[in-house]
Amino acid sequence: MKLLNRSFLVLCLTIVFPTLYAQAQIVGDMDDESRLYAETKQVNQFFRRFNGEEDEKGERYYARDKEYRDPKLRKKYISILFDASNRNIKDELKSQFTEHVTNKTNPITLDFHGDNWFSQVTTTFNYKGRDRTFILFMKLEQEKLGYKWVIYKVYSDVFRDYMKKDTSLGKFLHPLSHELDFMNLRKALDDASTATQFTIKDYRPDYLTLFLYEIKNGNLKFKTIQNVKFHFFQVNGWYFELSEFNRAGYNTGWLISDLIKVADKDKDLLRKYIYYEDQ
Amino acid sequence: MHKSKFIIAACFCLFIIGGVSAQDNISPERKQAIDSLALEKVRDLSKYISIIGNKQTPFSEANRVMDRAEELFAEGSEMGVSSLNSKEINYYKVRQYFERLMALNYDRVNIKWYNIHYISDLERQPDGRYVGVVTIYQRFEGTSDDGMSYKDTTKKDITIYVERKKTQIQGRTIEFWDVLLGDIRVTETTT
Repeated sequence: MKLLNRSFLVLCLTIVFPTLYAQAQIVGDMDDESRLYAETKQVNQFFRRFNGEEDEKGERYYARDKEYRDPKLRKKYISILFDASNRNIKDELKSQFTEHVTNKTNPITLDFHGDNWFSQVTTTFNYKGRDRTFILFMKLEQEKLGYKWVIYKVYSDVFRDYMKKDTSLGKFLHPLSHELDFMNLRKALDDASTATQFTIKDYRPDYLTLFLYEIKNGNLKFKTIQNVKFHFFQVNGWYFELSEFNRAGYNTGWLISDLIKVADKDKDLLRKYIYYEDQ
Repeated sequence: MHKSKFIIAACFCLFIIGGVSAQDNISPERKQAIDSLALEKVRDLSKYISIIGNKQTPFSEANRVMDRAEELFAEGSEMGVSSLNSKEINYYKVRQYFERLMALNYDRVNIKWYNIHYISDLERQPDGRYVGVVTIYQRFEGTSDDGMSYKDTTKKDITIYVERKKTQIQGRTIEFWDVLLGDIRVTETTT
């Protein structure tokens, strides 16, 4: 049995380190198991592999271990952390990114408790009797003794019409309305479609408030999760997206599904795009 | 039997963890001890699933095993089941999941637990308890005498809760780390 495990490990190494790939001879059940070793099984493992904090079997390296965050180890791991089926991520770009984060004088690692990464959770809710998609943006927040995931933004097509601010100058409450005890409010708010014309200039509608309001009113009921992905802004000058791939082969699990070189000053624009706030 | 196992587990933790009361952080050595205990519980669960899914198991015995299996879990734990065929995840209470498994009623059930497991770091929650995730792969093969057969490999991401508890043994208060299983996500990967 031990011998068998050892052979699985050797197979796994061959997959993890592509230089040895050509030597792999995989058959039957062995195929399954080597695939499972190669898979980046948890987001936690993505962090560890990216940072060079575990061996090929998934055993943790600690700061006292000489392999801990070793640049060579990290380069090999990072090379398998990309979604290989995505041809939009050019090899040249991957190399630049890998060199940047494994630079010997200024290595960059990911920090689970650090800012600048968040999750995008695509969900299905039943809204007033119909299944509708809601996107929840979530981040880790420190509280008391530990951490928790919190919803900090929501987007859904369902609420888009509520978000539109009518900026046409058609209706307003004249400046002497107060003298009439604002009796003209009745006419102003009678037509729901033009109600936003009577708000302050910098009024910004908020999806999260609407979302919670509808949940509390019983109009919105959670059904299921469709998809989870993560957005990382922790590397200076870069952005990448992390998605889960459940498929045959060795390039599976949590992998980098998008990589963009982006100046830090432009990152807010990219965030707005992700949050659907550019519309 | 169950109680004795509990005491052994508690002593095991005490032996390795020793002197935990003054410390809040989990050292690598302590984490390894907790990981072992968590894996032992996951193995128990795997064994129970095999018994519950097997038609040869008498109904009363399957129910008894379901009770044992339920004791491994924190209250309110759920199974999230997803497959390649559907985008949606179905959620079942742990008991309901076992009952569905029993209803499959194969004549022979073979469950192989791959010798691969992945244990995350333990993260502290606001209430002071630690939480982690153990990932395992399970090969399920069910066959019936009428020729029906079903195979799949499922990835199970199992939540583990780790907390410090106190117990009285011969008048002495002893602290130990206890592990409970929580929500489980089951991903059907291949058939």
